[in-house]
Amino acid sequence: MSLEGKLALVTGGGRGIGRAIALKLASQGADIVINFFRRRDTAEQTAKEVQALGVKAEIIRANVGDPAKIDEMFGVIGDKFGHLDILISNAASGVGRPIMEVDVKAWEWTMDINTRACLLCSQRAARLMEGRGGKIVSLSSLGSFLVWPTYAVVGVSKAALEALTRYLAIELAPLGICVNTVAASFVETEALKFYFDEQLGKDKLPITPAGRMVTTEDVANVVAFLCSEEAFMIRGQTIIVDGGFSIYNPLSVLERKD
Amino acid sequence: MTIEEQIREIMARITHVDGSIIRRESTFKDIKADSLDVVQALVAVEETFGIEIPDEEAQKFQNFGDFVSYVENQVAQKEKV
Repeated sequence: MSLEGKLALVTGGGRGIGRAIALKLASQGADIVINFFRRRDTAEQTAKEVQALGVKAEIIRANVGDPAKIDEMFGVIGDKFGHLDILISNAASGVGRPIMEVDVKAWEWTMDINTRACLLCSQRAARLMEGRGGKIVSLSSLGSFLVWPTYAVVGVSKAALEALTRYLAIELAPLGICVNTVAASFVETEALKFYFDEQLGKDKLPITPAGRMVTTEDVANVVAFLCSEEAFMIRGQTIIVDGGFSIYNPLSVLERKD
Repeated sequence: MTIEEQIREIMARITHVDGSIIRRESTFKDIKADSLDVVQALVAVEETFGIEIPDEEAQKFQNFGDFVSYVENQVAQKEKV
C-alpha cells in the first residue's frame, strides 16, 4: 500500500492515536499536516519523526471545537497545498461525569470537538478533495454502545459520530470520497492514564481475548488500510479494533456442568 | 484595562461569578472554575494576548495571581521581541 504523493491532515495528530496514525501514513509516503491544540511540544516532536521518514510535515494549531479555527486551518492548507487527499478526524476531548452531573457546558464542549468538528472538517476537506477523490476516517470508541461510568457525554458524541459517518459516506460517495470510522477499546495512551491514573495497575487492566491491550499502532494499521485503495468498497462502517473485547461474554468463565 | 483586569473579566465571564470576588490569591476552586473552565479561560487569554500557555505551565498555577503573573511576563517578553 503506497500513499506516495498524498496529503493527509490528522487532527489531534501530535500524540496518542493521532501520532501513531501520522507516523503510519507517513511511513507509506504521505505528507502529513498535524493539527494540535494544547501541546505544541508533542506536535513538533511528531512532525520531526514524520520528516525523518522522508516526507513533509506541517503543524497547525487549532481548537477544532471552534468553527472559526477550523476555517482558518483549512484556509492555511488550501493556500499552502491547494488540495487534500486524506482527513483523519481524530482530535477528541470530553468531560467525564456521571450523567446527573452533565451540564450544558460539558455537553457542548464534548459534542463540538468530538462530533461537530468531524462534520465541519469533512465539509471543508471534501472541497479540497474535489476532482481527486479522497478518504475520511474518524476515530470512535466502544463507548458509543457500551456503557462505562462517567463516559456518557463522550459515548453519545461517538455514537453521533458513527451516524455522521454513515451520512457522510453516502452523500460524499458521488465525489469519490470514502468515509469510515474506527472504534477502539481501551488503548494505551496518555488520555487513558489521564482518566484512570490510579487504577492502571496491571491487575485492573482490561485484557482482551487477543491477550493484550490494544496499542495505538493497532488502530493506526486499520486506519491506514481504510485510507488505501484496497478498502475502496468499505463505506460508512464502524470498524472495531478491540481484540474481541466487545463480543466476549463474561459468563464464559463459568464452567459447564457435565 | 490592565492585563489583570482583562483576565479577571475573562474568568468572570466563563465561570459566571462576580469579578470582584476574584483576587490574586483566589484558587480556581474559589472562583468555581472546573477543569473545562480553566481550559476555556486559557484559550480566551491566549487569543486576547496573542500568546501560548503550555499545559505544563498552566498546571503550575496555584491561584489567579500565578496565572496573571505568567501572562504579564509573556506579554512583556513578546513586547521586547
